[in-house]
Amino acid sequence: MTPSSPDCTDTPPSSAVVEARHLVKRYGDVDVLRDVSLSVAEGTVTTIIGASGSGKSTLLRCMNLLERPQQGQLTIADESMRFTAQGPRSGHTDMPLSRHQLQRLRAKVAMVFQQFNLWPHMTVLGNVSEPPVRVKGVSRRKANALAMHYLERVGMAERADAYPAFLSGGQQQRVAIARALAMEPQILLFDEPTSALDPERVNEVLGVIRGLADEGRTMLMVTHEMAFARDVSDQIVFLDRGVVGAAGSPERIFEQSDNERCRRFIAPAA
Amino acid sequence: MDFSWLSDPFYQEYLVEGLINTLWLLLVSAVAGLILAVAMAMARIKGPRPLAWLATGVTAVIRGTPLLVQLFFFYYGVGRLLEGIPGIQDSIFWGLLRDPFFYATLTFTLSVGAYSGEILRGALLNVPPGEREAGRAYGFHPWQVFVHLWLPRAVQLCLPTLTGEMILLLKSIPLVSTIAMMDLLQAANIIRDETFLTYEPLLLIAAIYLLLTLILTLVLQQLERHFPGVQPQRRRFRWWAQARHG
Repeated sequence: MTPSSPDCTDTPPSSAVVEARHLVKRYGDVDVLRDVSLSVAEGTVTTIIGASGSGKSTLLRCMNLLERPQQGQLTIADESMRFTAQGPRSGHTDMPLSRHQLQRLRAKVAMVFQQFNLWPHMTVLGNVSEPPVRVKGVSRRKANALAMHYLERVGMAERADAYPAFLSGGQQQRVAIARALAMEPQILLFDEPTSALDPERVNEVLGVIRGLADEGRTMLMVTHEMAFARDVSDQIVFLDRGVVGAAGSPERIFEQSDNERCRRFIAPAA
Repeated sequence: MDFSWLSDPFYQEYLVEGLINTLWLLLVSAVAGLILAVAMAMARIKGPRPLAWLATGVTAVIRGTPLLVQLFFFYYGVGRLLEGIPGIQDSIFWGLLRDPFFYATLTFTLSVGAYSGEILRGALLNVPPGEREAGRAYGFHPWQVFVHLWLPRAVQLCLPTLTGEMILLLKSIPLVSTIAMMDLLQAANIIRDETFLTYEPLLLIAAIYLLLTLILTLVLQQLERHFPGVQPQRRRFRWWAQARHG
């Protein structure tokens, strides 16, 4: 993939789990995404970097349709759709995307939010077991076992009965990661997972995410932790004012990018 | 002080009937009113324009006029109008439409719907949107987001205010004595008229009301205490738990 031609994803590798082509997203007359294409291979970590307002979060939120692009095509976890002025259409027909398809897609793509977004009226265990129960129809008993398994995984099992308000930010984010894992998704989305944390809490969360990357999970992440991004990513996408300014391996982006703005954005970190 | 009338079985019967009617009115109006409150709040937040306007209008009228006037309006006004509709007196609904209980319930339900609806609306708007978004992102159906995430959180936020409304409702109920319904105050009125004792019956029903309020407060306090997510903040009895568990 060469940085100068972000459209190179027109011939995707067959193992691509996420395939976005020519996405356009506007709010009123502000173009947030202008023709963004992106491909994520199965079992790889892709990090989206860029300045504030470059459209990183919007792009990530298009991946589970929390934001709906006005134009482009998206294939995520075998769900394929096109976007037109009338809204999202299912892959090859002109039928609007049904709620059923939308929910099926979302069940395969789990998101971790900047502000954790745990449900304060549920215990830690409740937070993690609720989505499988409500969305996948898993029994509460099985979901609780599943939840305990993943809480163990993020080191929060002993706080299973606590309410989120009694946890630190780092602990809350680890619970949120367990909640995402309990859906056993094909793709994990991280939207600035450490930006709302105290500096001394950042590492405990990054440690968990690094562990997931090492497991070979497919992940798409937005972060400002440059060193971490360089470390765990297989692909880095530099988003610049709504277009892909540069994309490629971390070495390439951090050491020999021929995109001037990308070099300047990276400079303080490298 | 003369409480000898208390041993009169007729008066006992009035008082028991009055008490039962009061409790029934409280229960039915509270349940129906809170359901209406959820509907009114959602109509104003998410409903289509005309529905939102309707809810806003009803809220303004109900909150802007005295409860007693509303009670008279429904009982004497609407009730008498319905009476004039040909054939209605033979319909199966007439039993209901003739009963002051129906008009009292209607009035109180609307009142709870308007006041609690506003409280609930504020609480719904105060739930951080991210919590709903998380539900959507995980594939919850919009209805599941509302029932399992949004509404319980809003109720959690405004529960003490809502329970306060229920206690106010209990104490509005004596107004129904003005539409010839046998509640506690009506029972006291009858006893006063027949025994020429003014204070004793009033003192008795005041004591009953005080007791009812205390019981209701305790019940609602338990509800608040056991509401998920509120529980850990309780303070009372902590010394007891510490003493037990060392």
